Amino acid sequence: MRWRYVLSTIGLLVFFLATTMIIPSCFAFYYDDSSLVSFIKSFFITITVGVLLYKIFECENEGSISQREGIAVVSLGWIAVSFFGAMPFYLSSNEFTVVNAFFESVSGFTTTGASILVDIESQPKGLLLWRSFIQWLGGMGIIVLSIAILPLMRGSGDKLYKAEVPSPMPDKLKPKIRDTAIVLWKVYAIFSILEVILLMIGNIDFFDALCHAFTTMPTGGFSTMNASVKHFNSLYINFIIVLFMIFAGINFSLHYQMFKGNTLAFWKDPECKFFLILCVLLVVVVSFDVYGQVYDGIFESFHYSVFQVVSMITTTGFVTANYELWPPMSQLIIMFCMFVGASAGSTAGGMKCFRLVLCLKYCYKELFSLVHPRAVKHIKIGEEPISEEIIRSVFGFLILYLILFLLSSLLLAGMGVDFITATGAVIASIGNIGPGFGLVGPMGNYALIPYCGKWLLAWCMLLGRLEIYTLIVLVVPEFWRK
Amino acid sequence: MSYIILLWRDRALRIVIVGAGEVGFNIASRLALEDKDVVVLDKDEDALKRLSDSVDVKVISGSGSNPLNLDRAGIKGSEVLLAVADSDEVNLVSCLMADILSPSTKKIARIRSGSFINHYETLRNNIPHIDTVINPDIEVVKTIENFMNIPGAVDIAEFAGGHIKFVGVKINKNSSFSGLKLENITSVIDGIRPLIVALVRDEKLIIPTGKDVLKSGDLAYFITEEKKLFDTIAVFDPDVSYAAVKRVLIVGGGTIGYYLAKRMEERSISCKIIEKKTSRCEYLAHKLNRTVVLHGDGSDRSLLNEENISEIDVVVTLTNDEETNILISLLTKGMGAKKTITHVGKFSYSSLVSNIGIEQVVSSRLSAVNTILHHIRRGKILSSVSIKGEAGEIMEAVAMPTSDVVSKPLRKISFPKQAMVASIIRRDNMIIPNGDSIIEPGDRIVVFAKREAISRVEKALSVKLEYF
Repeated sequence: MRWRYVLSTIGLLVFFLATTMIIPSCFAFYYDDSSLVSFIKSFFITITVGVLLYKIFECENEGSISQREGIAVVSLGWIAVSFFGAMPFYLSSNEFTVVNAFFESVSGFTTTGASILVDIESQPKGLLLWRSFIQWLGGMGIIVLSIAILPLMRGSGDKLYKAEVPSPMPDKLKPKIRDTAIVLWKVYAIFSILEVILLMIGNIDFFDALCHAFTTMPTGGFSTMNASVKHFNSLYINFIIVLFMIFAGINFSLHYQMFKGNTLAFWKDPECKFFLILCVLLVVVVSFDVYGQVYDGIFESFHYSVFQVVSMITTTGFVTANYELWPPMSQLIIMFCMFVGASAGSTAGGMKCFRLVLCLKYCYKELFSLVHPRAVKHIKIGEEPISEEIIRSVFGFLILYLILFLLSSLLLAGMGVDFITATGAVIASIGNIGPGFGLVGPMGNYALIPYCGKWLLAWCMLLGRLEIYTLIVLVVPEFWRK
Repeated sequence: MSYIILLWRDRALRIVIVGAGEVGFNIASRLALEDKDVVVLDKDEDALKRLSDSVDVKVISGSGSNPLNLDRAGIKGSEVLLAVADSDEVNLVSCLMADILSPSTKKIARIRSGSFINHYETLRNNIPHIDTVINPDIEVVKTIENFMNIPGAVDIAEFAGGHIKFVGVKINKNSSFSGLKLENITSVIDGIRPLIVALVRDEKLIIPTGKDVLKSGDLAYFITEEKKLFDTIAVFDPDVSYAAVKRVLIVGGGTIGYYLAKRMEERSISCKIIEKKTSRCEYLAHKLNRTVVLHGDGSDRSLLNEENISEIDVVVTLTNDEETNILISLLTKGMGAKKTITHVGKFSYSSLVSNIGIEQVVSSRLSAVNTILHHIRRGKILSSVSIKGEAGEIMEAVAMPTSDVVSKPLRKISFPKQAMVASIIRRDNMIIPNGDSIIEPGDRIVVFAKREAISRVEKALSVKLEYF
């Protein structure tokens, strides 16, 4: 492996991150708040490190990079970006110790939305924008963005893209990876702008609208309010946010097809169909479950269930109702949502509907072949037969996902965290959701998690964001062997 | 909605390639590096995986002759369809379907079978309207003939209908040029001063300036008029003999061997073919008239001695096995053959062979790639040839009146850095340009460009209006 190349590319990413710090600095300057100094300091530290890394290890790029180098750049790059992204937090207030700042930053970039802040509204506006902004960067992928923008990434983009966007069924929208990245970011940006406008129509000021759009489209879930979206207490706002959460939970290549004029794309895609039907089903069940028990009106129960189910299944993590007060079945459905996640190729976390569908079809095939032992049957999604290779990698993923979930919960419980909180925090982190159960529930936060637990959860978030494989190979000894 | 659709209007040149074999792979990787949108179709998933792992192109699994697949590949907006699958039938049907789906797309097909040779015109003028049919075996025979005609050359390309030659020669140890600064060249020779446009050293391409020093082992590319060709080569290597080729020995009587022997018969050059298989010998003896068909092994010393190997001018090794070809070339050279031309199909060997003393190498795949590139260029580019190592290309183009490059001094035109105007051809005269030269509308120009700069050169040479 060419470490020079890996390090210089990471230098480039860090440099790129530094330039994005200019945006919150402008906001901090405009609102004249206390975070401006910390942004300027972090900007200079980050840009120096980035340029140094790039210059020291600069090398002639000979041909394309290997898969291993791609994985190294992406996984180590994400860790580096999270580290430097934590700088403004760390420098701005005492509340942010090293681990807290890193946790908040990872939670941002991985679009988790788990926070250690007890009082969000008291934070300077620049910092609040940075929290939302890093979610926006991380949602579509900081590496995808740099492929789209930086011409220097040319030639190596392919491998990096595959490592950062490890979709179970890879699909290149355009012949060239750079164009694909540009298209994805265009779709993403258009939706975000649209949401800002629609939120502002609902009487939210520009700053809050921007911050919420920045965290809806990546299915992040950071809010500028202590009470999350509940603060606005507006049906219209909830509706807009639900709508855009659903958009964000749909495969972005379908959005692209829709923009190109193929209006039926959503309905023709079997995964998307499954996702939408699943949403409706779960909403109906939860609505009837909470009706009469928690809420008196049928409309009220419907309204809260829609928001909560969509927020959880798209792994956004916005909150309008404390679902911990709901009946057990609804709580379990919320937990189920956390596991499932939305479509592959969207900005959502979780296991993704595609994998669930595949898993169910596989089980059906096994049963089918018990009845017809000599039947030749392929697993198909839509009309596309799925190759053995993909099925194997999907099952590997699901098994790893569950093992890591159990193992991390065990470790967290070992640190003295109670059972509900431990499992809730781990699933909320590995699925990039944010709010979990117990101490870290919709009304709580992650401030009370022990020191080691925060590192563990930050690791879980990165695992979830990079869909396990890309990051977990770092701990496989074979990866480091020459 | 329409303004959003506008955002995704495709601007890049899209090329659809049917077949991810060696030729498809090679062309795809070159075009992708030039910033073009490339879509490759093939039935073989493994071949596609190999391609998409190393090259930034879109791959679609499925036969290119299937109209649904062509549609998925976006044939409608594509500028060129390249049918280079292994089977002639697939290539023909792909072109046919592409012609129906998208008549404006330029179609280039590789057809190996010799039976079509007399029907290229028909295929062009009728359905399926294949603009160019490429037969790699015939292309390679042309290259072999070029090598026979120009001794000392390692790489040859022709422009302006053969008037202008672009030739690569190796700088030998005893050449008077080795160790010489380019600006001092005139001090060593009088008369012809070769225009060296590129150097290949240790497989790296250099566009030389006056300060660069020639070293032995370099591959120097120069451009010259046809009539001065031999004098120029003599400047590089005085030992080269120009005696016309009289006796040729071909080892391996496959399709290429057969075509070559036929050409030799047409040119009245005495020719012998060694072929291993009895049945093939029978066939060759039946088809060929004056050629001596020998049944035996090309690596058999006694057979070679019997046939007076030391009297042979050129040995061409064309068996199906490149390793055998390389060894036989070395063997016959050792036994006194004056010159060898070796067929090496595998691209990965091409950099290796020059190290062991085999200079003149041909490959039907490489010839096919080169011929295809010849026809794929855009704008008013008449033809283009890539040089060894594939790091650069030399192109011949017509300077359009509306193009950016005409009617002002060369140093004022905005031309990419890694490219240079190597010569201007005005009414069959070659002008070697300097900074003050002016390209007149209608001139032909020969441009040399590194690979990174090719698409920008194409743009600069295109008509301006095209980009509004």
